[in-house]
Amino acid sequence: MDKVYTVSTAEWQKALGEIARTSRVYAPVAFNGHQDYELIDGENAGNIIYNLPKPSTPLKTFLIPVKENVTADMEEGGKTVIMGIPSCDLAALDILDEMYLNNDFPDIYYSRRRENSVLIGYDCHSMLENCHCTSYGVKPWPERHADIRLARLGDSIFLQAHSEKGKGLLDELGKHLSISEAGSNDINHLNEKREQLAGVLNQKNIRLPGYEPSGKLIEESPERVWTSYASTCVSCGACATICPTCTCFLLVDRPGFEKIRQLDACQYPDFERVAAGEDPLEELSMRFRNRYMCKYVWKPQKFRSIACTGCGRCIDTCIGKISKNELLEELASEKKR
Amino acid sequence: MKGNNIYKPLRAKLVDVIDESPTIKSFVLEPEREFSFATGQFVELTLDGLGEAPFTPSSSPLVKDRMEITIMRAGYITEKIHRLKPGVVLGIRGPFGRGYPLDELFGKEILVLGGGCGFAPLRSLLYNLEAEKDRIRKVTFCYGSKNPQECIYKPYIDNLKTIEKFEVYRTVDVADKSWTEEVGVATVLLDKVEVDIEGSVAVVCGPPIMMKYGVLKLLEMGYVDTQIYLSMEKNMSCGLGKCGHCMMGEYFVCKDGPVFRYDEIKEQPDIWK
Repeated sequence: MDKVYTVSTAEWQKALGEIARTSRVYAPVAFNGHQDYELIDGENAGNIIYNLPKPSTPLKTFLIPVKENVTADMEEGGKTVIMGIPSCDLAALDILDEMYLNNDFPDIYYSRRRENSVLIGYDCHSMLENCHCTSYGVKPWPERHADIRLARLGDSIFLQAHSEKGKGLLDELGKHLSISEAGSNDINHLNEKREQLAGVLNQKNIRLPGYEPSGKLIEESPERVWTSYASTCVSCGACATICPTCTCFLLVDRPGFEKIRQLDACQYPDFERVAAGEDPLEELSMRFRNRYMCKYVWKPQKFRSIACTGCGRCIDTCIGKISKNELLEELASEKKR
Repeated sequence: MKGNNIYKPLRAKLVDVIDESPTIKSFVLEPEREFSFATGQFVELTLDGLGEAPFTPSSSPLVKDRMEITIMRAGYITEKIHRLKPGVVLGIRGPFGRGYPLDELFGKEILVLGGGCGFAPLRSLLYNLEAEKDRIRKVTFCYGSKNPQECIYKPYIDNLKTIEKFEVYRTVDVADKSWTEEVGVATVLLDKVEVDIEGSVAVVCGPPIMMKYGVLKLLEMGYVDTQIYLSMEKNMSCGLGKCGHCMMGEYFVCKDGPVFRYDEIKEQPDIWK
């Protein structure tokens, strides 16, 4: 395990400002009651939010933009530092990497962005209402894919490199700030905070079935469950748009044999419709069910990774006030009865 | 394909258009460089600036400098494609997916059941089998169309009938005075054929309803799930197993199919839709 280093928040912010001269640096800042990534410069580094869940935009949007010309030559963009990534979004890279870096058809846009990004993951020090990462085996701190792990205690920032890329960035930052090794008291305190939050998350979601049992419950659930829960769904697709693992897309043609890749969602009408008119997802309730089947049954059959990392954004965002967790808890309690 | 941009189409010039029926035309393409595909694999055909749609070539996979794609007028893109004249440049991406399992067909009798425009991929298979006829025992080809006008590839059929080891049976749903062959849906032909079921493999391609009843009939005849191959039609878009439009349960039809053995997919949802 690499050493944990510490530095004062003021110095850290100054160093970020320096790094931002040559790289793009993104970090979460507050907007009307929520937080999201903003491009950081010397001016706004003081507004960065630390260790509170969670940016509205999932990490996937940096790697697979909502809309992109996938036939154009990619700009040589240099390095992008993305700071403040919660562990649910980092865990989602398992399945995105499987899909977009696989040997059959590697996606050059995804792989180049992945290579050019340095990912700084945050420990979460609190939870939001619908957070449920621990129910699916994801810890509320970065376990994988983060190049650097970051947590703040009081006025001190704690940093731990997790990859060569992360070490490289720490070395670079080291030129602008005086970094020292963290003491064991602080490290213990940070570890306690982690375990404490994991306990809170587990307690809050005690009735929520785990990932695999959820798949079984979904597969066995009768049609009435779907029609009932889908009754306030308006097919807006927000759940898929904001999901860290949903990346279904549409290819839109433009003159000159250009193809525009645009984020799509199985919640939209005609998603699976074929030219002759057949459409297995014609009914809204079937589209609604499809998303659950895809996440909990089919994707885990197809890939080694999980397709829901428990971020809870789909619940936060639903204008029909549909709670995925409520649905799964109901299925679980019905089964017990 | 590795290292290339998987989204960029290859240019292909349209050199000929063949009227096959009032609703079906064949488009002969000359790709800008040699284009290889295995029979049953599909390509994405781009109409510049308008859209892209998946088709399985209907020509022989042994011909590398020309490719034929047979297309039924069914939706927005195919409507536009039907208006094209020779000279226009199209785009092709692919080939994608898993085609017909030739190795599984060698040494056996092959029962091929086709309906309507489903003949297109099957013709590519038949060309391939003809070239390999020393390695097969017999091909029984059963084809059904709506009416005699919609019965495609007539000159090809006439030729096929003369080839050793190939038997052809045809039917139409609705006959006219000119029709001398069977009348009824495609599956009626299965009552006429003589096949050594145990030593045989069946390949089915056609509209979903025909595939469904075709499979039921084959099972009734004594075929088992592992002897039946189907070409599935879904809304394949990227061809790469990424965009999600062709998901059929755990499968991406574009990458894991489009040709599936029946036992692989029979438990999956909506296979006949």
